[in-house]
Amino acid sequence: MALSYVRRAYSSFAAHVFDIPPRLMVFLFLLILLAVPITGISDYYMGILISANVLAIFAVSWDLLVGRTGQISLGHSLFLGIGGYSSALIFKYYGLPIWITIPLAMLIGSLFSVLIGFPCLRVKGPYLALVTMAFPLILYRVVKWGPLTPIFGRVGIIVPSFFHFLPIRQQVIAEFYFTLILLFASSVIIYKIANSKTGIVFMSILDDEVASKACGINVTKHKLMAFVISGMFASLAGCLHVHLLRIAESSMLLLTVSFIPVILTFLGGIGTIYGPIVGAYIYSILDKYVLGQMLPKLLEQWQMTLPTEFEYAKLLIFSSIVVILVIKWPRGIARYTTDRLEDLEEARDLDERGPRIWKRYKQKNRN
Amino acid sequence: MREDLESGKDTSRRTGIRPLKVLTMHLLEVKGLTKRFGGLTAVKDVSFHIDEGETIGIIGPNGAGKTTLFNLLSGFLTPDSGTIMLKGENIVGLAPHKIVNKGIARTFQVVRPFHHLPVIANVMVALKSPRGAKKIEWLKTMERKAADILEDVGISEVMLEPAENVGHGILKRLEMAKALATEPDLLMLDEPFGGLNPLETDFLTKSITRMHLDEPSRAILVVEHKLYALMKIVRRVIVLHQGEKIAEGKPEEIANNKLVIEVYMGKGIPHA
Repeated sequence: MALSYVRRAYSSFAAHVFDIPPRLMVFLFLLILLAVPITGISDYYMGILISANVLAIFAVSWDLLVGRTGQISLGHSLFLGIGGYSSALIFKYYGLPIWITIPLAMLIGSLFSVLIGFPCLRVKGPYLALVTMAFPLILYRVVKWGPLTPIFGRVGIIVPSFFHFLPIRQQVIAEFYFTLILLFASSVIIYKIANSKTGIVFMSILDDEVASKACGINVTKHKLMAFVISGMFASLAGCLHVHLLRIAESSMLLLTVSFIPVILTFLGGIGTIYGPIVGAYIYSILDKYVLGQMLPKLLEQWQMTLPTEFEYAKLLIFSSIVVILVIKWPRGIARYTTDRLEDLEEARDLDERGPRIWKRYKQKNRN
Repeated sequence: MREDLESGKDTSRRTGIRPLKVLTMHLLEVKGLTKRFGGLTAVKDVSFHIDEGETIGIIGPNGAGKTTLFNLLSGFLTPDSGTIMLKGENIVGLAPHKIVNKGIARTFQVVRPFHHLPVIANVMVALKSPRGAKKIEWLKTMERKAADILEDVGISEVMLEPAENVGHGILKRLEMAKALATEPDLLMLDEPFGGLNPLETDFLTKSITRMHLDEPSRAILVVEHKLYALMKIVRRVIVLHQGEKIAEGKPEEIANNKLVIEVYMGKGIPHA
């Protein structure tokens, strides 16, 4: 009895307290993230957040293509590679400042997505997924090809960091703010596109391609549009990734990298645009902090060390997390949370005249 | 005035303002249309024409090639031979979305809503097409226009519901709203009464009649099994049987046509 009263009181309280407009909520989260460097946490943890920002841009671009347009791409690491390598090569051969290579890399990424989109978008569904999977493998072979070693380097192309003129500590903080602002800007742009009238057309293609043709929509054009926008922001992520690692290497073209946005998007909620951002932070913290720091420390207490093959087992762990999540919360963590908040809102509308328990009491007396 | 329009009785006043036919060109002219699927000839040498403002029905038993003819006209299938002239322009071989933008809109026999979108956004997809966008009146937003169309077909009260939550009768009318959004010259309805109860059928009959009165130059082509409902709204009927056109004429002529009765009911027992 007492427990149920507490639960009801909490739900009534929560319904009134969580009545925050979504925009304000985003702003609050942004403020919290902006305040992170002030707390003075170590560079390692800052690195986790920086990589989360970059992964979030990558996953958000994937979500627009797959979650909103229904064009399944399992080769998104291609755009990461194109963005990264093009910015590195431009720096290597022309020595242009990094501020110019970023827009150039985005331009090259969108050009390549037009080139790849034309043949790819002739096939649908799982076949499209298989075709897109082939392209990063081709680029991987090209990069590793013997005669091209002078261009792409034996190990990779060394590039400077964005803020190489600053001392190390300030460099990390500047990188954090830089990636956070880019994440904010690109996700707002993608969110606005996804919820515009063109975004409605994208959703119609996801639902029923034939019916949108019958509505007079040029389906191929809109699919290509989604492909180009997605490729452009994925190349931005690739460019950032390369400059944060200070090296453009072939490992970002691997198949495992193509599956990262899939994992992040399913963690957060597919088709939401904000979901992958939540997923990226959860993934980075799980990957680098829980599995990279907490677990080895825990094992140290029992005089044990992780085997070196553990790196390969990580993908297995995350895949199983996604499988469990798909069974438990098929709509993703972020979507689940927003649905809960909407339920609370409904509950508040129901008991405008006070907590629900009073309403029940009244009903009982009436009968 | 709205009531007498809805009842569909007093039309003389409205029919009086119909524009006189000046052009001798037909709106749609189909000549020798043939489509084969392997050994099966689904549509065999069909020719007919539709004028502006006409309401035409296509009837025929199952497998007569009605839906194939529909798909040929709307560009989802390419004919093996024959021509389809829309306002003197051959539209054979054009992509479906280009044909829609030239002025032929269609509905589907099995409803195809966009499940993830609200009802109003379903209509906005059609308004986003080049022809739909061009037809929006000056100083009118896309949302306003979509709401107006939904009001015309009578489902404006559910316009914010997701399409996956609404019933079949509403989805049938949503199909029509999507087709109407591009303001086509020729509206093709594929079994608009399929799966509707008598009340809904009656409502739809009235709204098609009203639609015709509101936009007198729009031609409507209806494929239907429910002959009773169909005969009330059309002026001319084309009968298909095994891919061939076997009869064409006014509804009452068709109802008394021996060949048509034979096709539908089978041959009578020969007298001994």
